[in-house]
Amino acid sequence: MKITELLFFFMLFTSVNPAQTKDFDFSSPINIKKFADFLFCDRDYLRAALEYERLISSEVKDTLLFKIALSYSIIGDYPFAIKYFGKIPYSSSYINEAQLELIKTHYLMNDYYGVRSFYNNSFIKEANKYQLEGNKLFNFSYLFTKDELPSKEKFLSPFNLSEKDEISEYYDWKQDPLYKSSTIAGIMSAIIPGSGKMYVGEIGDGIVAFITTTVFSFIAYDNFKAGHNTRGWIWAGVAALFYGGNIYGSVAAAQVHNAKITFEFNDGLNVFLQKNNYYTPAYGFCDEK
Amino acid sequence: MVFVMKSNYIIFLIILFECTLFAQNSFDEQFNLTKKLYSDENYFDTVTELKRLLFFNPNSEYIYSAYETIGKSYKQGAKFSDAIRYFTLAEINALSVDEIYNSRIDIIRVNILRRTTDRAFKLLDSLEADIRFNDKIDEINYWRGWAFIFADDWENAAVTFAGIDSTIELTVLAKKVDDDLYSVSFAKTISYIIPGAGQIYTGEYISGLLSLGWNILWGYLTIKSFIDERIFDGIVIANFLWLRFYRGNLQNAEKFAKEKNLIISNKAMNYLQFEFKGLKP
Repeated sequence: MKITELLFFFMLFTSVNPAQTKDFDFSSPINIKKFADFLFCDRDYLRAALEYERLISSEVKDTLLFKIALSYSIIGDYPFAIKYFGKIPYSSSYINEAQLELIKTHYLMNDYYGVRSFYNNSFIKEANKYQLEGNKLFNFSYLFTKDELPSKEKFLSPFNLSEKDEISEYYDWKQDPLYKSSTIAGIMSAIIPGSGKMYVGEIGDGIVAFITTTVFSFIAYDNFKAGHNTRGWIWAGVAALFYGGNIYGSVAAAQVHNAKITFEFNDGLNVFLQKNNYYTPAYGFCDEK
Repeated sequence: MVFVMKSNYIIFLIILFECTLFAQNSFDEQFNLTKKLYSDENYFDTVTELKRLLFFNPNSEYIYSAYETIGKSYKQGAKFSDAIRYFTLAEINALSVDEIYNSRIDIIRVNILRRTTDRAFKLLDSLEADIRFNDKIDEINYWRGWAFIFADDWENAAVTFAGIDSTIELTVLAKKVDDDLYSVSFAKTISYIIPGAGQIYTGEYISGLLSLGWNILWGYLTIKSFIDERIFDGIVIANFLWLRFYRGNLQNAEKFAKEKNLIISNKAMNYLQFEFKGLKP
């Protein structure tokens, strides 16, 4: 009898239940936090940041702010990253990391003057940790700009022994870049066709330019000498075109060479910084516990 | 004593069942919300809410649909690699042969769309070889035809569509495009024989006539130099001028044929994208 009653109540209750269901609360702060952490570790950073942002009104925790900022930094939304790193209070345990991340963000924005200004005005005063790392990034910024480099000794001082060789090479490269003067290249080609290209390092092109200009000039000369003036002028025009082209080509080759040197230099620096993750630490937010 | 034990057991079961029921209802609502978001074309939020549903209820009955809809949403946002990832997860969690088939077709469609057509062909071949899908051959061939279109192989697309009864429009279109396309090798070959002919074949009459004129001029001067026994002049004119224009004529013929073919293909693709009413990748 009791079981029958029990079953009756059960049936009654379950039939009424859906209308009164107290739902699983997807929007409770704890569930939002769990889901945001999952998204963050699943590398879905934009959604993670948006979920963490939902929690800011209910609880302001520096870890949340830091993770939001980190998420925006990773997806390349640097203004938002700066905004959230900047919101981390000085009393927070993340203040040192946030300061270092701000330097990194300026780097990622190619704002090297911003790196230096932030380092001098804020980082030195506010950060208790990572001063060496900050100093390395500060010094590095000089390699990206045209400003005068600090002395080599001062420049290399924050770097480890293992890094010094490579950084020293970059320093020397910056001090004495392997640029070629486009003016010299042009003048050389005006005097001896093709020599400007050889000066830039394009030996084959230089030889071809020399031969073509010389050959057409000779044909023009030969025709004038033989009394074929019309043909002589035609060939003189062709020779002049090749001669002008050879000068223009030498100037352009020097400019291309210089652009290539600059690109390779900056690319090498960026690869080095990325390899070292801009001297920022690993945070271990997604490490297995 | 036995009776008390039994009733306790029943009460426990009731409580357990109730708990499950609570969860089921709220997850139902969440799933319905994602369906609405998807139908409203709010794909970003669809993905977020489906991921939320899967995170809190990873073994739900919606798992296949959820992964499939996430894949479709990513596809709508042109996040093709993510789309394939989720269609693959849908396939792994498929509960029926039809679901497996649909997931694979979804993956094939994304591969067609992002022009990784070699992969699409391989997947289509594997579907065709699977005896479970013997009744789907027409549909498999339909997507094979589309893969040929995206691989710019209109001839095979026309042949493939011709084997399916319901695709007359696509057959006609693919055949027409194939007929309209210029032969790049033919354009080059006739330019080898008569400079400028390749350009004229592709409808670039002025360029063709100019090319012909330059080649006649430098050819004449080269031959005349040799006849006049000005051997050095002849070699130089032939090498630096005639051959230069002759080679340019060949390159132009090839370039024009490719450009014209691209225009024809793009026009057809434009029609397929905006005016064709049937299923598209």
